[in-house]
Amino acid sequence: MESSTSFPILLSLRVAGLALLFVGPIGLAIALLQARVRYRLRGLVDALVLLPLVLPPSVVGYFLVVVFGRRGLLGRMLEEGLGVRLVFSPAGAALASAVVALPILVKTAQPSIEAVPSRLEDVARTLGLRPWEVVFRVTLPLAWRGVLAALVLGFARAIGEFGATLMLAGNIPGRTNTMPVEIFSAFQEGDDARAGLYVIVLSGISVVVVLVAGLLGPKEGRAPA
Amino acid sequence: MSGAPALEVDLQVTVGRGASVFTVEARFSLPAGVLVLFGPSGAGKTVTLRAIAGLIRPKRGSVRLAGEALDDGMRGVHVPAERRRIGYVPQDQALFPHLDVLGNVVFGLPRAERKKPGPATLALLDELGLSALRGARVDALSGGERQRVALARALAAEPRLLLLDEPLSALDRAARFSIGRSLREALARRSLPAVLVTHDAEEAAAFGDVFVQFERGKPARELPREVVLGEKGPCPHCGKP
Repeated sequence: MESSTSFPILLSLRVAGLALLFVGPIGLAIALLQARVRYRLRGLVDALVLLPLVLPPSVVGYFLVVVFGRRGLLGRMLEEGLGVRLVFSPAGAALASAVVALPILVKTAQPSIEAVPSRLEDVARTLGLRPWEVVFRVTLPLAWRGVLAALVLGFARAIGEFGATLMLAGNIPGRTNTMPVEIFSAFQEGDDARAGLYVIVLSGISVVVVLVAGLLGPKEGRAPA
Repeated sequence: MSGAPALEVDLQVTVGRGASVFTVEARFSLPAGVLVLFGPSGAGKTVTLRAIAGLIRPKRGSVRLAGEALDDGMRGVHVPAERRRIGYVPQDQALFPHLDVLGNVVFGLPRAERKKPGPATLALLDELGLSALRGARVDALSGGERQRVALARALAAEPRLLLLDEPLSALDRAARFSIGRSLREALARRSLPAVLVTHDAEEAAAFGDVFVQFERGKPARELPREVVLGEKGPCPHCGKP
């Protein structure tokens, strides 16, 4: 099992997918909040969202271990309450990926939400739509390009996560050896062919992502669907 | 129907942040018909309109629609915009660019009615001359057509009051005349009270029953029509004095 070539590829896809499922709604909610609401702690939230982008991944990983580790406050609650253990588990890898994907998700989605004229949202409210209905029937349909680009870039960032994943989920063959982690260990062992395979797969995914994000990027004169 | 006026407004609204804060004060009442908010741009007409719509929370004061308090600073009442049933046609129409003409008109209706428009919607499209355009993209419409769509969208939701921000100002003369007539007929047919913002004396005279003058830095005041309009004589469209 652990020596299977396809395992790290499938695991990485699963981990990044799970991370996106978790961080996608949170990231979009933060992007909406930051784009549309003027509140006192807005600057602080902005800084916190950017933090995983600036902090070294190993430092992010360290913080995650402190909070979600077996002796961490949330880690203990999750383990005792729900029987979920994040350290050395694929779920931990997904959490680490989710955290490092958050900044790119929020920062890509936010400008496209800001570009939706708020006058349209105002009119929708006078027509009887509650704020959440306005989000789903006006804001997101008009900002879909930026939102989709944000999700695609977030997925790419999640699938490539190495440092924080290694700290929280470790490198357990057949369990938490995602592609980036596997590249590192194969390279250490001198197995260049094995490392090269995952390098090619991850590079391919990245090229596709960059192309798709480019297609979704801001168009001349903002032409929604 | 109670004997309460259609609309009573006594507001103090503060907008902006930092150095660009300004306060608008307005006090007026409309028994029925059309109230015109008249004055130069930047005097607070649109702010007042948005406060009546419930899109801005006034600093203090009250808004009453047919006797019902929608805002009452003293009692902490602020009914959110989505529960006021007040139609709003902003200056740039704010049509939804991701929907066609019909999609815009039925936007505020329940899901079933949006899927399959009923007789009321079809009659409304007909009334405003939009039947032939129902599948058209809104960015392909002329200024007059856009205004008709915005009006139909607001009327479809069966508002209790209609707010119109410079509805005719961006139109050419022919469109002003025909949209102006459609608008007057639509309001009369429904006995729908309206508040109309304009800086144009002719437009004010053509529509208004009650006039409120806005001036920069002064509280808005209700004034007799001759004073507001500078004794312009009868309106060229409708012959009203």
